Amino acid sequence: MLAFLLASFLFQTPTPIGRASVTPDSPQPRTIAIDEALAARANLKVGDRVSVSARPGVVGDTVIVGAIVRRGADPSEVARGDLLVRMHLDQLQAISGYGDRVDRFAIATTPGADIPRLIDRINRVAFGFKAYESREIAVETSRTFQVVSRFHRAIGIITIVASSVFLLCIMVLKVDERRRDIAALRLMGISRATVVRSIIIEAAVVAVLGSALGVVLGWIISQIVNWHYQALYQTPLAFSIVTPPTVIFAVALSLVLGIAAGVVASLRLVRTPPLALFGR
Amino acid sequence: MRAALAQASLTRHRGRTILAVLGVAVAAAMLLDMVMLATGMRESFRELLLSRGFEIRLAPKGTLPFDTDATIPGVSAIIATLRTNPDVREISPVLGASIHVLAGNRDVSGSVLGIDPSVQGDYELLSGQDVAASNFIVGNDHLLNQLGAHIGDTLSVAIGYDPQTRTYSGQRKLILTGRVKFIYGANDQSSAAVRRETLEAMGGQNHDRASLFMIRVRKGADAERVRDWIEKQLPNVTAISIATAIKQVDERLSYFRQLALILGAVSLFVGFLLVTTLVTVSVNERAGEIAVMRAIGVSRSHVVEQIVIEGVAISLAGAVLGLALGLVTARYLNTILSAFPGLPMAIDFFLFQPRAAWSALGLLIASGIGAGVYPAWRAASLPIAESLRREAIA
Repeated sequence: MLAFLLASFLFQTPTPIGRASVTPDSPQPRTIAIDEALAARANLKVGDRVSVSARPGVVGDTVIVGAIVRRGADPSEVARGDLLVRMHLDQLQAISGYGDRVDRFAIATTPGADIPRLIDRINRVAFGFKAYESREIAVETSRTFQVVSRFHRAIGIITIVASSVFLLCIMVLKVDERRRDIAALRLMGISRATVVRSIIIEAAVVAVLGSALGVVLGWIISQIVNWHYQALYQTPLAFSIVTPPTVIFAVALSLVLGIAAGVVASLRLVRTPPLALFGR
Repeated sequence: MRAALAQASLTRHRGRTILAVLGVAVAAAMLLDMVMLATGMRESFRELLLSRGFEIRLAPKGTLPFDTDATIPGVSAIIATLRTNPDVREISPVLGASIHVLAGNRDVSGSVLGIDPSVQGDYELLSGQDVAASNFIVGNDHLLNQLGAHIGDTLSVAIGYDPQTRTYSGQRKLILTGRVKFIYGANDQSSAAVRRETLEAMGGQNHDRASLFMIRVRKGADAERVRDWIEKQLPNVTAISIATAIKQVDERLSYFRQLALILGAVSLFVGFLLVTTLVTVSVNERAGEIAVMRAIGVSRSHVVEQIVIEGVAISLAGAVLGLALGLVTARYLNTILSAFPGLPMAIDFFLFQPRAAWSALGLLIASGIGAGVYPAWRAASLPIAESLRREAIA
């Protein structure tokens, strides 16, 4: 059984990995799994023999690289640049001098189990450790990510303000450019309400088409962002996700802004005498 | 003359111009923030590292200072080795541990540093007295507030908690002699400092060990050369100079720099697009006027300059407004990022530097000039007779 080498152990006792020199009569070494980053940095491949030790410069146990694994999508590990090794629990305990100890136990429960009751029961009988629900640990370890998330939200608000002003400006300009057409329509006897309605419909169509193009562009950029950061941090974590609520929000916002701009600009134009719109 | 004509053109449609200036202002604010984010983080970190004049840090091999609980054995031997290099001026060994301060029924946990007060570079004494004796302890405001303790109080301090036996490896009474501010400490962290020998004695097995060495080099000495020498002499440590530390932090925080670059470029492009659109529409509307000007002998260059001035004026007005807006938003965004767990209080993600403001302003003016070029070229190449005829028919 391959035990998970807890990340916290790696932080506490750096495990140097180098090429092993083993004699032919050595017993068959055990296997370890290493992550892609370590494999790339140390130029290791499956089947290589390496020496692992808890102390720098000390030749430790010889092991064979049995697998190269892709790390899980854990936001708290992104950008730390740590290298991860998974090895047999008893071997890790031996080389680290940890004894018969572990940093934590992970417990899988049967479907439908009463988790709070189980935790309460463990905590009542436990001596020297405490049980937590996985969700509680996730909240605690993702504090860094929560800060990044708040930062993204703030940047998002600024971006929305900027794009709102931009959209408003473009729509006003677009309607303003039609002043002569509107003057002609008014001189032909088309009512103010009809002119306003036609401009609003036009503005709404432009806003919807623009936002549809924006959604496609956003999705492409999102793919590029994920491709870039997943390669940079060697993680399967999704950095950017285009969700239906995001799309609905973007389309609705541009539609509202487009219509608002259309209303403002068209009302201003229909109140101006047609000849004045012609510049006469 | 050109400026007056440009002004007349911009004030003809006030609402439209104000809207464009507002759009450029928001883009400029974002651009300034992103320039501040891209350069400020590194500068702020460099200032923090250099604040006490220690150019080199030694951490256990393969780690960053206090990134792990690993320690370096043989402090005396390491100091003796380092002393053989004439470029090494001062050495400050630091031992770190978790601390439990017992106050009545309460147990406040935090971190403690074991230092030599004559060469320490980890904290500033705000009030009281430094750890002159082995039974003295100093703490930061967070710890003092948590404990409700005051200078002169005696604290029961313990380290090495064993959760299985619920006992401590070392416990003793220490007198709180000072209130300090930890330079590299986080806001929400209870921290204290004692003499290194006090902490070693309490730890039992931590004799002659340090978590970190901070080294000042002789004035004029090459810190990088000293760092290389240390790495060769001491294979069990990682020697980190300011340059390597900044490089490592850069790698960890590369996400923010790249985000700053992308958002800065997008902001600049949005501002550019807005000004180009506005000036182009304005030129299209004034095609007849421009044709008349050209017909009465106004030169092409005059027309081009007038239109470029319009673009630059909008960008400049937006940039000035954006500068103020950018400083406000930078402060807000910095407050959000300051909540990073374990981030030193002194680190600013958004650091205002005049160079950053000038860079943002320069980029905006360049974009304003660029934005005016296309409509100016269109205006200058208008066929005079045809434009006049179209204007007359219209």
